[in-house]
Amino acid sequence: MDETVAEFIKRTILKIPMNELTTILKAWDFLSENQLQTVNFRQRKESVVQHLIHLCEEKRASISDAALLDIIYMQFHQHQKVWDVFQMSKGPGEDVDLFDMKQFKNSFKKILQRALKNVTVSFRETEENAVWIRIAWGTQYTKPNQYKPTYVVYYSQTPYAFTSSSMLRRNTPLLGQALTIASKHHQIVKMDLRSRYLDSLKAIVFKQYNQTYETHNSTTPLQERSLGLDINLETKFKSGLNGSILAEREEPLRCLIKFSSPHLLEALKSLAPAALVCRIQKLLCYSGSHSQGTQDPSSWQKDLYLLFVHLYPRC
Amino acid sequence: MDSYNAPESTPSASSRPEDYFIGATPLQKRLESVRKHSSFIPTPPRRKIPQCSQLQEDVDPQKVAFLLHKQWTLYSLTPLYKFSYSNLKEYSRLLNAFIVAEKQKGLAVEVGEDFNIKVIFSTLLGMKGAQRDPEAFLVQILSKSQLPSENRQGKVLWTGWFCCIFGDSLLETVSEDFTCLPLFLANGAESNTAIIGTWFQKTFDCYFSPLAINAFNLSWMAAMWTACKMDHYVATTEFLWSVPCSPQSLDISFAIHPEDAKALWDSVHKTPGEVTQEEVDLFMDCLYSHFHRHFKIHLSATRLVRVSTSVASAHTDGKIKILCHKYLIGVLAYLTELAIFQIE
Repeated sequence: MDETVAEFIKRTILKIPMNELTTILKAWDFLSENQLQTVNFRQRKESVVQHLIHLCEEKRASISDAALLDIIYMQFHQHQKVWDVFQMSKGPGEDVDLFDMKQFKNSFKKILQRALKNVTVSFRETEENAVWIRIAWGTQYTKPNQYKPTYVVYYSQTPYAFTSSSMLRRNTPLLGQALTIASKHHQIVKMDLRSRYLDSLKAIVFKQYNQTYETHNSTTPLQERSLGLDINLETKFKSGLNGSILAEREEPLRCLIKFSSPHLLEALKSLAPAALVCRIQKLLCYSGSHSQGTQDPSSWQKDLYLLFVHLYPRC
Repeated sequence: MDSYNAPESTPSASSRPEDYFIGATPLQKRLESVRKHSSFIPTPPRRKIPQCSQLQEDVDPQKVAFLLHKQWTLYSLTPLYKFSYSNLKEYSRLLNAFIVAEKQKGLAVEVGEDFNIKVIFSTLLGMKGAQRDPEAFLVQILSKSQLPSENRQGKVLWTGWFCCIFGDSLLETVSEDFTCLPLFLANGAESNTAIIGTWFQKTFDCYFSPLAINAFNLSWMAAMWTACKMDHYVATTEFLWSVPCSPQSLDISFAIHPEDAKALWDSVHKTPGEVTQEEVDLFMDCLYSHFHRHFKIHLSATRLVRVSTSVASAHTDGKIKILCHKYLIGVLAYLTELAIFQIE
């Protein structure tokens, strides 16, 4: 086994929390049951890892096996990345072809390899007709950097792909091109949505996507729905202006803050995005209070709220 | 300096040397500072916290109960020329005929069933602040019931009332031919308000003007109403701000438990029986800073559009709802002041 592969697998396994290790290894399905049974998972982590590497060597793990493990790790730790959303569209008059996963994967890989020569492309299909793609980027002359890959989650029955924000921005156009061509689309645009939470993003874009097919029946167009966000505050008053105000009062101020707007997300984003959301997130941790939408909690609104709260996590 | 003393006497002119508007009435002095939107240096304006006035005890709570818990649209009204309280029956008849005529013209659309309406003018006894204040009166449009029974009054379709609470500054300036009732409150269809307004304007050579309430005055109201002593609270204390941001506006509502609002006010309040500009500013700043501490948004830079307390709630568009009978006169006094300010 290549030293770089061994090193990469080792580092990947080291990232995995102990309580998740067996689950992920089973999902990886590279080491056999028998092999795994020989491992004493109660040892110190370094020892466990050593043993596992040894087993991988026995089985001659390749870079694609390592990449697969990495994908699985990322699937378990989606929130460690910030995800962008891309929307693809067909050209006018183009037919909706039946999606062929095999053809897509081949095409996607070929496009990248033709362009860069050195690139590692790996796939892992999941339910909901989704495919996770991992791309480790290299150049004509350098080997792919396995430690800075881009992940793409493409839902083949929709025009949407979610990509982890990559530091290697120069590859984004190529990635877009590969996605578009391989999936037989005409155009790709980046949407104005970002989050660490794929589920929230999915909720939003898929609902929107279904909405376009339902507008004939729907009596309440998306825009007209007034969304709300309620936040309970129970914090002690602390004034920067005058230290004596309410200084003796032990009890907190019981407040309820409501934000509402026909376009809540956009309005809040334009107001004071990072700081605002950061505060709200912290509040939810402190007071442990729950917040609910002002209308009856349809999952759309609940997910929008989730998205909103997790939109800008870095404070 | 502007302070409302006991109902019988007129507000005394300040004799402090610092006042540089020599000769100006107390109201004018305060109005000047309001125009500047700043604290009147060196003497900040102040108002008396609404108390149960002596006169109000004469008012039958039952009789004024219908004024509470209703949303009223506010207007200022210039003095009525040659209006007489002894002609109320005549006015009822004339206004009734006018409405019917307008309806026939096709202009009156929402006056109940066709021509089956009745207009009633009546006085509202005791609805005044000072003895000098003219008597308040009420105009109602009722639908005539099908069954001609004496007790069946029919449904009230529209209500409007005219009042003057501590309107001395205006009363001082007009001759005896004029009746000063600068505050007009209407509840009911806008079309009816328009017709009745037209009739009054034609008949008494007066002028109605919608009374908007700006953020400055809303803050005052919030502070004053929070300052009122309440046995129990019927509503949460709430502020509503409108933030203009793209693509559409955002509404931020800040509701605070009324007991906590009172506690905050008590902590800010220094002068017994009165509310000063400083205290209002500090009270609002406390709320702004509490909000800012959590959300990093400066509410003071946004537009305050509504305040709600257990005493009353007011909207910047000139809408008011009074919830507490005890402080009815106090609320109306402030509104009268705003109406007079608009007329002058």
